[in-house]
Amino acid sequence: MQNEPLLSVKNLTVDLLTAKSALRPVDGVSYAIRQGQCLAIVGESGSGKTVMNFAPLGLMPTGVTTNLSGSVRFEGQELIGLSEPEVRKLRGKSIGFIFQDPMSALNPVRRIGRQIAEMAELHLNMSPRAAEARALDLVKLVGISDPAARLSQYPHELSGGLRQRIVIAIALAGEPKLLIADEPTTALDVTVQAQILRLLKDLQQRLNMAMVLITHDMGVVAGAADNIVVMYAARAAECGPVDKVLVNPRHPYTRGLINAIPRRDDPIGSEFRGLPGVPPTLGAPIQGCAFAPRCEFAVAACTRARPPMVPTADSNVCVACPVVNQGKAAA
Amino acid sequence: MTHAPVLKVENLQTRFKSVQRGKYVHAVDDVSIELYPGEIVGLVGESGCGKSTLGRTIVGLEKASAGRVLLDGVDLSTLSGAALRNSRRALQYVFQDPYSSLNDRQTVGEAIDEALLIDGLRSADERTRRAKELLEQVGLPHTARDRHTRELSGGQRQRVAIARSLAVNPRVLICDEPVSALDLSIRAQVMNLFLRLQKDLGVACLFIAHDLALVRQAASRVYVMYLGKIVEHGPSQELYDHPGHPYSQMLLASVPEVDPRVEKLRSAPLLKGEVPSPTNPPSGCRFRTRCPLAVEDCALRAPASHVLSPDHNAACIFAPDLHGGKRSALIHQAA
Ligand SMILES: Nc1ncnc2c1ncn2[C@@H]1O[C@H](COP(=O)(O)OP(=O)(O)OP(=O)(O)O)[C@@H](O)[C@H]1O
Ligand SMILES: Nc1ncnc2c1ncn2[C@@H]1O[C@H](COP(=O)(O)OP(=O)(O)OP(=O)(O)O)[C@@H](O)[C@H]1O
Ligand code: SF4
Ligand SMILES: [Mg+2]
Ligand SMILES: [Mg+2]
Repeated sequence: MQNEPLLSVKNLTVDLLTAKSALRPVDGVSYAIRQGQCLAIVGESGSGKTVMNFAPLGLMPTGVTTNLSGSVRFEGQELIGLSEPEVRKLRGKSIGFIFQDPMSALNPVRRIGRQIAEMAELHLNMSPRAAEARALDLVKLVGISDPAARLSQYPHELSGGLRQRIVIAIALAGEPKLLIADEPTTALDVTVQAQILRLLKDLQQRLNMAMVLITHDMGVVAGAADNIVVMYAARAAECGPVDKVLVNPRHPYTRGLINAIPRRDDPIGSEFRGLPGVPPTLGAPIQGCAFAPRCEFAVAACTRARPPMVPTADSNVCVACPVVNQGKAAA
Repeated sequence: MTHAPVLKVENLQTRFKSVQRGKYVHAVDDVSIELYPGEIVGLVGESGCGKSTLGRTIVGLEKASAGRVLLDGVDLSTLSGAALRNSRRALQYVFQDPYSSLNDRQTVGEAIDEALLIDGLRSADERTRRAKELLEQVGLPHTARDRHTRELSGGQRQRVAIARSLAVNPRVLICDEPVSALDLSIRAQVMNLFLRLQKDLGVACLFIAHDLALVRQAASRVYVMYLGKIVEHGPSQELYDHPGHPYSQMLLASVPEVDPRVEKLRSAPLLKGEVPSPTNPPSGCRFRTRCPLAVEDCALRAPASHVLSPDHNAACIFAPDLHGGKRSALIHQAA
């Protein structure tokens, strides 16, 4: 590979220390993403998807000490160990983000229009007037009714989906090279979702923007992403091209996840398919495979040591499971 | 269903002051719905169409400007004092946003304890036992009790919020996208929990969601809302198979496929045109500005509601044709 990926994460580990507890929500995860590409991150809720993406950007709530190790390189620059002012320079401009919680990203006492315009002023060096015009364009772009009137509304006056689209508009205002979108469409109905995904795809092509898409919706992954990382309990369980991983999931957790998608022929009122058991707590690092207690295929090797992420029979797909990888050797 | 509805909403209207001086946002406009004991009913529709406002008005978090909400046949606006408090407790709302519905300074245990106290559980032992049971029901480990709610992931928070609303043994749950923040396996757990509550305890549930596959599986009936109005209503399978309103048809056709090979080639229907304003809604049929089938008549008067099959209604002049497969908003759109 001649050119380095836009974002390259290697062996990232995040430790969080609060007054009462210590936990490791991200434990040695690696992935990379190139310009113009979309990487989906899916997995158990609480598995570290949000922390993994936002902690290296210095975006963690107060009251918690964050320790990072490993490497996160963006455009060849190492982010881990970078000073706060330097990280701040990247945020919003080169790296845009959409928070899972749209309300926290918006200032509750300021009008929507001002908040969008500010991003444009700050990052694109626009005059206040040009920025206002840009704000209006962006609000139109994300397909909101009464665009001009919306600019003078406050966040609490908008529905969940409208707020979500405002947050998307703000993220796009700086024309970032990398967009980290944490569940950008969960609050949207499927028609608006389709429209937003089309918009993001269009921007990806036009600006050659790369995108990390965190979501629970496999339909969204199927339509938007090139590659996928499946997370379970702070670690990556499987990664590879979307059209391989979703069609032919290998890791037992991925298989359970895909199997849990409701199908058209599931009878009305029938039980939803899930996975047995509960996810582990992330206190102490787990010795073996974190999924072993819930896994129907588990063997002794699974609990002995943490299974490494290795290429499967299809070398584009990597899986951290000794059972799957042993099958490969046998095959 | 021969028995009486536990919840009946009649011609409900909720409006907000608009930023346009002297005008109103007509968020919910003349909506009537019914909920029978022990059923899960879906409420779907475009984001911003008024689903949350409808739910919030039902439980009294917003003030209705017209219409009535009846619990067991009793108009809530005629109640006061203890009677009103009791009725309100029977009606619980699970919030769309698990971030703002929990107090950040509380631990999980405190948040649940508070709800149990409101329910009148005096004995601390009893509360501890019940809290443990509730945490188990929503799939959280017992050890979660001591953690602050701000330390939880989105999905974990949502489960605490659900546990809280279950603490008071409600008869009707208004669930506003209760599982959209959860991963598929926990989503299944929580959905099965709702199914159990419905079957075992007879809790009725109005289920607001964007995930149409999930709604189909869980709900016996579905209401489809567009710009403040219910445009279609029917048994879920029948409505999904034979929608009678162009909006429902386009909504259902927009559900993405989970096979990337299929999904990447598919072109979802596009709702064209500006999203109309709930402050100045279009005359006649509210969907007409974006409807591929619209004709002149659609602008003149609000379309009547057609009965398409037992308990299946749609408000579109072409509803019988759409329902019968003689016309389609999708084909029309492609042409
Ligand atoms: N501010 C914090 N303080 C302490 N622990 C935290 C904090 N934020 C997150 N955590 C913990 O870190 C773990 C990972 O959280 P994260 O938000 O990254 O999960 P997630 O994969 O994004 O889940 P979801 O899909 O539910 O959003 C969780 O166990 C969570 O409880
Ligand atoms: N407090 C308020 N003041 C002014 N307008 C409001 C207020 N609350 C809601 N609205 C408006 O009412 C309309 C309906 O909002 P509502 O939150 O009910 O939509 P929704 O169907 O729940 O959407 P979503 O699926 O995005 O959550 C929107 O246009 C919204 O902006
Ligand atoms: S009444 Fe007219 S505009 Fe409304 S949905 Fe039917 S065809 Fe479309
Ligand atoms: Mg998250
Ligand atoms: Mg809502």
